[in-house]
Amino acid sequence: MDYLLSEEQEKLKETACQFLEKECPETVIRETREEDQGYSPQLWSKIADLKWLGLVFPEKYEGTDRSLLDLAVLYEEMGRVIFPSPHLSTVVLCGLTILSAGSEEQKAELLPRIAKGDLILALALAEPESSWDGNAWDAQGITVQAAADGDHYVINGTKLFVHDAHVADYVLCAARTKDSGQPEHGITLFLVDTKSPGVECTLLNTTAYDKPGEVVFNQVEVPKENIVGEVNKGWGPLARVLQIGAVMLCAQMVGSSQKALELAVDHAKTRIQFDMPIGINQYIQGHCIDVLWYTETSRWLTYQAAWKLSEELPCDMEVAMAKAWTSEAHEKACWHAHQVLAGVGYTSQKGVMTLYSMKGKTLQHYLGDTSFHLNKVAHEVEKWTAPEKPRGKPLGYWDIPAEEQIPAWEPWQELRKGKKTW
Amino acid sequence: MDFGFTEEQERLRKKVREFFQEELPEDYDWGGGAETAEEGQAFMRELQKKTAKQGYLTSGWPKEYDGMGLGYVEQGIVDEEFGYAGISWPSQLGLHLAAPAVFLFGTEEQKKKFIPPLARGEAVWFEAFTEPEAGSDEANQQTRAVQDGDYFILNGQKTFISGIYKPDFLYTLARTADTVPKHRGISLFLIPADLPGITYRALPSMGGGTQNDIFFDNVKVHKEYLLGELNRGFYHAMATFEFERTGTAFPGRVKRGLEEFIQFCKEEKRNGKPLIEDPEVRKLLAEMAVEAEIWKLMAWKAVWWFGNREELGPMPFDLSGMCNKQLTTAQSEKMSKILGIYGQLRQGSKWAKHEGRVERGWRSTRSLHAAGTLEIYKYVIARRGLGLPRIPAKLNAVIAQALDEKK
Repeated sequence: MDYLLSEEQEKLKETACQFLEKECPETVIRETREEDQGYSPQLWSKIADLKWLGLVFPEKYEGTDRSLLDLAVLYEEMGRVIFPSPHLSTVVLCGLTILSAGSEEQKAELLPRIAKGDLILALALAEPESSWDGNAWDAQGITVQAAADGDHYVINGTKLFVHDAHVADYVLCAARTKDSGQPEHGITLFLVDTKSPGVECTLLNTTAYDKPGEVVFNQVEVPKENIVGEVNKGWGPLARVLQIGAVMLCAQMVGSSQKALELAVDHAKTRIQFDMPIGINQYIQGHCIDVLWYTETSRWLTYQAAWKLSEELPCDMEVAMAKAWTSEAHEKACWHAHQVLAGVGYTSQKGVMTLYSMKGKTLQHYLGDTSFHLNKVAHEVEKWTAPEKPRGKPLGYWDIPAEEQIPAWEPWQELRKGKKTW
Repeated sequence: MDFGFTEEQERLRKKVREFFQEELPEDYDWGGGAETAEEGQAFMRELQKKTAKQGYLTSGWPKEYDGMGLGYVEQGIVDEEFGYAGISWPSQLGLHLAAPAVFLFGTEEQKKKFIPPLARGEAVWFEAFTEPEAGSDEANQQTRAVQDGDYFILNGQKTFISGIYKPDFLYTLARTADTVPKHRGISLFLIPADLPGITYRALPSMGGGTQNDIFFDNVKVHKEYLLGELNRGFYHAMATFEFERTGTAFPGRVKRGLEEFIQFCKEEKRNGKPLIEDPEVRKLLAEMAVEAEIWKLMAWKAVWWFGNREELGPMPFDLSGMCNKQLTTAQSEKMSKILGIYGQLRQGSKWAKHEGRVERGWRSTRSLHAAGTLEIYKYVIARRGLGLPRIPAKLNAVIAQALDEKK
């Protein structure tokens, strides 16, 4: 048992913190969101130089072979400054899927390009029907069809909330290739060149100004060699990558809540009203503590899930718990911080807190919101059983009349009167 | 970072779990209440002695004081298991508060006197700190201890002292000097509970336990019962409070309660369907599981920090205490919500569900103010953890003066 980051992780955290604070101040975030790209290519190549894009790839694919827990530490720092980048889409959701399911040729070709920052990928998963239904991130939500036709497949259908699709070179599309009654069976992953005829991407306007896309596939032809993994068996590797993605989102939210905490506490200490710092008021203190509470509880659930993923231990429940709690907790942390910051916090041109609050909406829903993951938790706890023994009736306490329910005390009174000794 | 346990630690956990499974009777009613009956008390005292013989009661203590000489993590494992078994030790406060205080501040003679009975699972201690005018403001102690030769003469009243067993010793604070500030004139005493002049008055509490008033009427306490330095008692007490506020037993117990309740939800039917198939019930169960996990993590973090800190002192962000205050209430409310109108039926009613445990649990979570209310925890975290400002002493003095004038 060890609740500390390792020396290496501390170093990574520190470097990331310094780099991001310098390179990604509030102004950069605001400028970036005005632009169509939604990320800064200069920063993207800088983080490629820092090896952040190949962090969890093996060395033979130009990566640095670090653990998923290390990646979570990095994501926490990225969340702290709301770093706008297609890192999650490219490296985690698509890169790790290719790493676990892709052929040797695909890995050797694509992963080093990702690590160098030359390639941006996006995962097309959620669909209009399923995202309304809450199944967007589960196998049964996938209905977009891909039909075999000679040496290629033809994809038809619409995918929603595809982050970074508008700047991606390829979209990794999860499509149904077989209806077998079992939703997990029959899903195939296609690497679709975004320049292929029939692919159309429209940006969706969101609270956070990040630009998830609507991607329409109209008779899109994809060669068979662009299939990642086995035909009909794409869900297995994807499911694990979705778990990793969810935990990285949690880490991002932890960093973001941490920033909210810093902003709130700092404001409470320095803002003078009624001749005193407002932090002297216990209502204000209460809000600050709630931010701390949501931040810390989310942090340890997230670290635990990331650690279990890193160690390849079974962790369906831990991941679901982390995302279920953190999605909700982050929103609440931001809300409480807003209460402390008041006017300073919500002016959208100036208040930095608004950025965290608004970003939270995306993070909260992406890859499964609270109810989606609570469902998974319920599925896990259903398997719990109580030990057969001991589980019995009370030892008679409740048969005693109320006025005699404290018999142990009577002798004491008598003892004083000298009637009993002990 | 590492959330796992070593193989050896897992073995210890298994052994302890099996021991309790073996020792508890078939009809043991885990989760409180049992020990409030005389029969239950006698059983629990015996079990405590048996556990002491195995060494599990004091697994974290040094070997020379009848402990197993294991670390904090091992102690945490044993605690988690006894919580999971639904046991509460008669000597809980002695083991978790008085003993650490004696280890830290006691003389060799005091250690020899107080530690072995605790290690054998015999001595029961009360923590008699709270007074009518000194609740969370511990520095405002009004009980007086006046030195008279080799003795201190104690006069005053303690209140809201929890405990259902007959105590052997009291762990208490008394004013030994009138000083400004108030907390520099308080001393810590370990007093035999049956000294002449001590009287007790017990009141049952809403949650099923008991709260006691203790009166000191010219109680003669020998100076060998003074713990640590004269007039430094407040600091000693504060240093040992953290032992009271951390522990893995509570989350262990809550996990067990939840397991039992989930089992109940699988067996109980409503409109012909098991409760657990109801989406609303499933959601509440999942939420409770998440809360239990958070609690466990926070408790273990506190234990880990405890074993790895460099000096004695409170952890800046110990949220495990807040879990105790905040999440128990949330859990009992959710269970009650699932039972609906049946959530109010007491044990003994033929219509009571889940043996009326939910009702009892709900009631007991209304009386969770031992070791400070949730608000006190928050106040401590605000000041120590987040460094938020406090009302200046000067202003306090002005307010006090205004109140005086009003009188």
